[in-house]
Amino acid sequence: MAQAEESFEQFEEEEAEAPLGATLSGRKRLFSKELRCMMYGFGDDQNPYTESVDLLEDLVIEFITEMTHKAMEIGRTGRVQVEDIVFLVRKDSRKYARVKDLLTMNEELKKARKAFDEVKYAGIPN
Amino acid sequence: MENIFSKMEANSGNVLEVDVKNPLDSPHVKTELLGNQDSQEQRLLSHEDVLKKEEDDIHQRSDSDDNEDANLDQAATALEDMLTKTEDFTSRSESAHDTKENIAQSLQGTSFESEIILPKLALCDRKEKKRESKSRKELEEEEREKMQVLVSNFTEEQLDRYEMYRRSAFPKASIKRLMQTITGCSVSQNVVIAMSGIAKVFVGEVVEEALDVMENQGEVGPLQPKHLREAVRRLRLRSGIPNGHPHRLWFRI
Repeated sequence: MAQAEESFEQFEEEEAEAPLGATLSGRKRLFSKELRCMMYGFGDDQNPYTESVDLLEDLVIEFITEMTHKAMEIGRTGRVQVEDIVFLVRKDSRKYARVKDLLTMNEELKKARKAFDEVKYAGIPN
Repeated sequence: MENIFSKMEANSGNVLEVDVKNPLDSPHVKTELLGNQDSQEQRLLSHEDVLKKEEDDIHQRSDSDDNEDANLDQAATALEDMLTKTEDFTSRSESAHDTKENIAQSLQGTSFESEIILPKLALCDRKEKKRESKSRKELEEEEREKMQVLVSNFTEEQLDRYEMYRRSAFPKASIKRLMQTITGCSVSQNVVIAMSGIAKVFVGEVVEEALDVMENQGEVGPLQPKHLREAVRRLRLRSGIPNGHPHRLWFRI
């Protein structure tokens, strides 16, 4: 039992220390559950193949990695900012519209939450 | 008669507006233009995509695991209530035709409407097109109503799939961790939100293209990796996917 735990901890340590690019696509699955739901939502079968989910996860991670690397080269080098991402997807109409919507909605929700809190504070003396 | 023409014009105006706003709808818009006199459902399908993008993130955030988002959930529902209540007040009818009449009434005022309908409707067309381009909220409200009608007519399987489509999202914590590992410095929350949304759109594009591939090959059932790979290949040709390391993908197996 103790030996199994020790080897398990060592295995985890190795995973945490190993560089991400090569091993992440082979080791821990980050998005298995969410990807399954997403694939079903987009039209796949209710139980997608595990190999398909794995392949999609690798594709997503590669996509995010590429975008992040490109964003680091734009604007302020070494940092990723929202404007960089918006600039990168400007050609792709779907993604561009989606980013714009998300950010606008986020602002609206922040304002709503702020207004909600202010109302709460104002309404207490009643 | 004039009402029918004005309704069709108004709807084609809506279609053009939707096209400008969201080129995403282009396949749906084409079917709409072809079958403009057809049933409501085609129009509903085109507006469905617009609404999905607008309201999707609220549900995304209500499902995330952060503690902050519990409050955000309340705010989100509050905001949604506010928006839907304003819908109920301002949209006095169900069809575009009636709102057009209301606009005409509010524009022109009082007594001469019943006498001089024809030229006023002609004037109203131009004014209304200007107004429609300005009053996106009215368009959004109409679309929301149509979405509600559509969703209320879903079968249970469709409802399930629609719920999965709206609610599924990438966990923000994992995305943030991944990006911070890549960049080596911290990323702001807006960046994580934007990246999660784009990643979801990316998954949608790949899955839809893969379903097309599967259909072309005449197969059924769950998607197989070969369909996904063919879909990615096609999307790369169309430059939908960034391609910094073309050799890496194929060595992984």
